[in-house]
Amino acid sequence: MVKLDFYDPSGGIEVTQPHAPRLASLTGKRIGIVTNEQWQAFRTLPLLKKLFEQDFPGIEVLPIDAFPQGNALIGDEETARLVKKSGVDAVIIGNAA
Amino acid sequence: MKNAVSGLGLAPDAAMINFPIDMFLPGSDIAALETRKQEFYDALTGWKSAFAQTAAGVTPLLSVEGASYEDALDKANYLLITNLWGDGLPLWPATKQRVDRIIRGTVLPRDHVIGKFPPRGGITTVETCAIALAMAGGRPEYLPVLIAAVEAFLDPESNAEQLQAASGSAFPVVIVNGPIAKQIRLNSGFGCLGPDPQRPAGASIGRALRLIQQNVGGALPGIGAMANYGGNRNTNLVFAEDEESLPQGWLPHCTERHGFAQGANSISLLFANGATNMRRRGAKKETPEEDTLQGMHRMADFMRVPNFTSLGGYEKGTPGVLLIPGVVAQTMARLGWSKKSMREFLWEHSKIPLADLKRNGGPAWIEIDANALTRESIKLDPWPITAKPDNFVIVVAGGGHPTNSYWLQGYSPRVIGREIRVPESFDQLLVDADRDLGCGSDACMI
Repeated sequence: MVKLDFYDPSGGIEVTQPHAPRLASLTGKRIGIVTNEQWQAFRTLPLLKKLFEQDFPGIEVLPIDAFPQGNALIGDEETARLVKKSGVDAVIIGNAA
Repeated sequence: MKNAVSGLGLAPDAAMINFPIDMFLPGSDIAALETRKQEFYDALTGWKSAFAQTAAGVTPLLSVEGASYEDALDKANYLLITNLWGDGLPLWPATKQRVDRIIRGTVLPRDHVIGKFPPRGGITTVETCAIALAMAGGRPEYLPVLIAAVEAFLDPESNAEQLQAASGSAFPVVIVNGPIAKQIRLNSGFGCLGPDPQRPAGASIGRALRLIQQNVGGALPGIGAMANYGGNRNTNLVFAEDEESLPQGWLPHCTERHGFAQGANSISLLFANGATNMRRRGAKKETPEEDTLQGMHRMADFMRVPNFTSLGGYEKGTPGVLLIPGVVAQTMARLGWSKKSMREFLWEHSKIPLADLKRNGGPAWIEIDANALTRESIKLDPWPITAKPDNFVIVVAGGGHPTNSYWLQGYSPRVIGREIRVPESFDQLLVDADRDLGCGSDACMI
C-alpha cells in the first residue's frame, strides 16, 4: 500500500466573540430592524413587523426606517452605534444579498 | 452566511432564515413569511450555535492509502473534491515534501500570518500560500508573487470582503512588473491571459490564488460566492507588462500607478468582471494617424457602457484595464501619444449621454452609491464613466500583432500595489527551474 499524507488546505479560523444571547421571551420587548433596502425589503420587513406585533403582547417593533438603510449604510459603524443607543433588545437584519 | 459571520470572528453559523430567491423578486408572493413566522420567533429566543470554539493552530494532515501511487493520487483528489477544496482539475496533494520545497521561495517565516481571508476569515499564512501553490502545480520561484498578490488582496481598501461574495463575478487581475516576470516565466506576450507551456507561471499563481479564495476564504459557488457566472476564475488573470516594448518615455504601470521604481519587482492587483477583445486596427487604406484615431474611438466605444459594478471605484479605483500590444504602443508613441494622453482621450470619449443613462435606469444606481462624489456625478451630462482620466489602467501587453487590444472591465474600488520580496537563494531557484523546465532565456523560447 502507498500512503499519501498532505496538508488540509482550508486554513484555521478563530472565534473571537460569542453570538448575542437569545431572549427568554418576546413579550414586551423592543425589536429593531436593520435593512439594506434591497430585495423587496420594503414589503417583507413591514409584514414581519406586523406579524410580531400581532402575536406578542406589548412588543414594539421599530419601523424599518428607524435606522439608516441601504447597502452603503447597513454595515456602518454609525448604524451600529445608533442601534445600541436605541436600547432595542434584539435586531433583525434583512434582506441578504 | 456561515462565511460572513465566521469572518467577523463569530462561530461559523447564524440564526438565519432562508427563503427561495422568488420571494425577493418584484411583485413576489411573500405569504411564506407568515407560514414560517415561528422560525423568526425561534431565532430570537431559542437558537444556539452548533459550533464549539475553534482556533487556528498546526495545519492538520490528511491521509489516504492506495494500492499504488496512482491509486493514492486518485484518492487524494477525491478527498479534496468531496471536501469542496478542488476546482475540477487535477490537484497535486500538498505533501510536506512539496510544501517544504515551495517554502524556499520566500523570505518570510512559514507561520507568518498575512491576514484573514474574507468572507470566511480563514487565517492565511505563508504556509497556507505554499499549500495552495503546491496544489496548483506551482514552483518555489512563484511564491513571492503569490504572497504579494495575497497581501494586496487582503488590503482592507481592496474591498475583497464584498467582492469575494458578491454576485457581480469579480475576479482578481494581477499585473507584474520588474525582472522577476521573465525570471519566473510569466507571460507578457502572445496569449498572456491564457495557458502557455513555455511560460506557465501565471496559470499556477492565479490558480493558487483562486484556491485560497475558495478554500481559505470560503468563496464557493452559490454558497460563499454568489457570482452568477464566475468567469476567468479557474486561474484568475496573472500576467506581466511587456516592459521591453514600452516606448521611450512611457513608464511601466507599477511606476505610474503606485510610484514603484522602474525595475523594481512589484504586483498590482485589481478586480475585473469582464474581458473583451477589441478589434483595434483599421481594415482598408488608413494612414497611421487615421488608424490610431479610429482605434482609439473604437476602444472608447467599448468602454462607453453602463457598467455600474465599477461605481465602487468611481473616485479612486478603475473603470478597467486596457491592454495594448507593444507594436501598437510604439506606433502611437511615434505619433505623439503617451499613456497619459490615451487616458485623457478615453475618458472624454467614453462619456455616456444622460438621456441614455436615464433610459437604462442608471441614475438610480448612481444615486444610491456610498460615495458622495459618485452621487454628485449624476449632474454631469454626458456622464464620465469614472471620476478622472488617471483611473484608467493602461498596460502594454499582448503579442506582437497590431489588430486587437483587450479591455478588462473594472469592478475595483482601488488598485493595490505591493513590492515583491525574493529570498537570497532566488538565483538558485531559477537554476533549478532551468534544470526542471529547460532553458528559460529568450534564446531558448520558440
